[in-house]
Amino acid sequence: MWWKTLSVVLIIYALLAGLLVPLKSGIQRVEPAYARTKQDVSIRFYGYNTFFAKPAAEPLRVWLYADENNALAARQIRPVNDTILEAVFTMPENLPGGKQSVYLNAIIDHPEAGAALLPAAVELRQDTGMVAMALDPAWMANPVQKLHVQTGFSFPYQNVIYESIRNTYFHVPMWFVLLFLFSASVWYSVKYLRQPLPENDRHAAAYAEAGLLFGVLGLVTGMVWANYTWGKPWSNDIKQLMTAVALLIYLAYFILRRSFDEYEKGARLAAVYNIFAFASLVPLLYIVPRMFASLHPGATGNPAFGSQDLDNTMRAVFYPAIIGWTLLGFWVANLRIRYQRLHDKVMDLEG
Amino acid sequence: MRKFFIIILFLAISLPAVFAEGNRDYMRETGKINVVVAVILVIFLGIVWYLLRLERKLTKLEHQIHDTHERKN
Amino acid sequence: MNWRSLIPLLHKEFLLEFRQRYAISGIVLYVFSMVFVVYIASIRVTPPVWNVLFWLIVLFASINAVVKSFVQESGARQLYYYQLADPVVLLLAKIIYNTLLLFVLSTLAFAAYSLVAGNPVKDWPLFGLVLVLGSLGFSIAFTFIASIAAKANNSATLMAILSFPVILPILLTLVRLSSIALRLIQDTSYTRDILNLLAIDVILITLTFVLFPFIWKD
Repeated sequence: MWWKTLSVVLIIYALLAGLLVPLKSGIQRVEPAYARTKQDVSIRFYGYNTFFAKPAAEPLRVWLYADENNALAARQIRPVNDTILEAVFTMPENLPGGKQSVYLNAIIDHPEAGAALLPAAVELRQDTGMVAMALDPAWMANPVQKLHVQTGFSFPYQNVIYESIRNTYFHVPMWFVLLFLFSASVWYSVKYLRQPLPENDRHAAAYAEAGLLFGVLGLVTGMVWANYTWGKPWSNDIKQLMTAVALLIYLAYFILRRSFDEYEKGARLAAVYNIFAFASLVPLLYIVPRMFASLHPGATGNPAFGSQDLDNTMRAVFYPAIIGWTLLGFWVANLRIRYQRLHDKVMDLEG
Repeated sequence: MRKFFIIILFLAISLPAVFAEGNRDYMRETGKINVVVAVILVIFLGIVWYLLRLERKLTKLEHQIHDTHERKN
Repeated sequence: MNWRSLIPLLHKEFLLEFRQRYAISGIVLYVFSMVFVVYIASIRVTPPVWNVLFWLIVLFASINAVVKSFVQESGARQLYYYQLADPVVLLLAKIIYNTLLLFVLSTLAFAAYSLVAGNPVKDWPLFGLVLVLGSLGFSIAFTFIASIAAKANNSATLMAILSFPVILPILLTLVRLSSIALRLIQDTSYTRDILNLLAIDVILITLTFVLFPFIWKD
């Protein structure tokens, strides 16, 4: 019983924390995105979850920077409202490294909301005129330093994904539940072959069925999410393909089970197929990445999240969410097993 | 029960389309939060659908047990 | 394990095939009709389409060729074989025989297909190797699945749905390798794909040997 309570508690925690914790401040876009050297440019920054107009203890600071050593600080800053900020930059005479054009990253530092970053925000082009040989000292005058870090509980901001980063706690665990349930199903199939008890077969079938349910949910929710972030619902991604093939295997598994008159024969052959098909699924992990690039984070065949995709606050919700959803999956399978046990008993009594 | 469920499913699918009328993009607005809502809704409805299916099977079994019991008496 | 019975068992497979010539003629006719359908349905076959269509023809012909290897023998006769020889050796004989059969079939399909749809193959040794590896992989997977499907009543349908997910890794690699042989994609590191294919074969054949004893006994 304790694990059912734990499942409910963890899922409620994932729902509450996953939906209520705010995103960090971010920069959505910058206007204009082009500038030339030796000009005064007024640039508008469009923020997300930002508090530009809110009075703070320290002033806001804005930079455009090329690399660690070369940065330009804003000369003058004027918040239009909470999400729009106007900053005036004096572009230097020449570019670091004598390049013709450089992409500058934008940083806005807020004393409470922390620093927000937009990579390659502004393209700065070299003015075609007399170019001084020595690098303009303006690049080194105001280095990026003493950035503030938001101390509160918050999720990272990512362009394009925005709030849908919260799906990490609802869509992604479906894949883990599928993996655990199908592994349990294979485990009980092995057990059934070693010891042909109806109980082992009931377990194998119920875990396969619950895995099928969560697999379909993972696939459908993934398609919904992909449609609004990757632009289309299906893109031959390794995880999409693996899930689809796994679902096909277990649909075939259930058809195989039902195509025998004798119960024992169907259970035995289905157990054999379960093991054979599950093992032949593993090579896909090595083959598909050679053909299609993955869009999932932590790509190139690595099923785990990379450290840059999942920060500590996300982990604090993500891992409990996986445990919670997995326990829910086993709970559903448990109900199915108990139903089947009862069903078999009644059928036996009726003869 | 089944009808009720079909109505819920229909509403869940059609409501975003109703809100998306005009030039507003319902799913992409407000930081794409509605994508999260849709995902949670799909998961919830999927699990409820499975439980309803299991319940129908159980009801059938209950009737069966009931019938056998009456026959014996 | 009594490996000496392998040769007589192989001989038996050939003999059976020879006695029931209509079965193999049926498969050959099947290949020719599929090639003919491709010929009348598509006016111009570009190399990428050629590649995919070729492997689809080989795939379906292989499923149909292998499914008969268990179905055509009655249960009583199979039981008799199982008493005479080790079931695993029997299965191995079937796999070897099916590999040869599928290689002949796919070569035949290739000849007929390149006659009607043109022949875009550039790298002949690689393409030949792909055909051999393809026959081997298809033979292992399909023979095992056929041994399961033969136990059921609707074996032809079951064969198709059971084998599709299992064959997918092999099929994807084969299509990739043969598109390298057709110079559709440039890739010098295709030895890794070949190794992948061999690794899959090893995995499948190990599983086959471990699991087959659970299938044949009734």
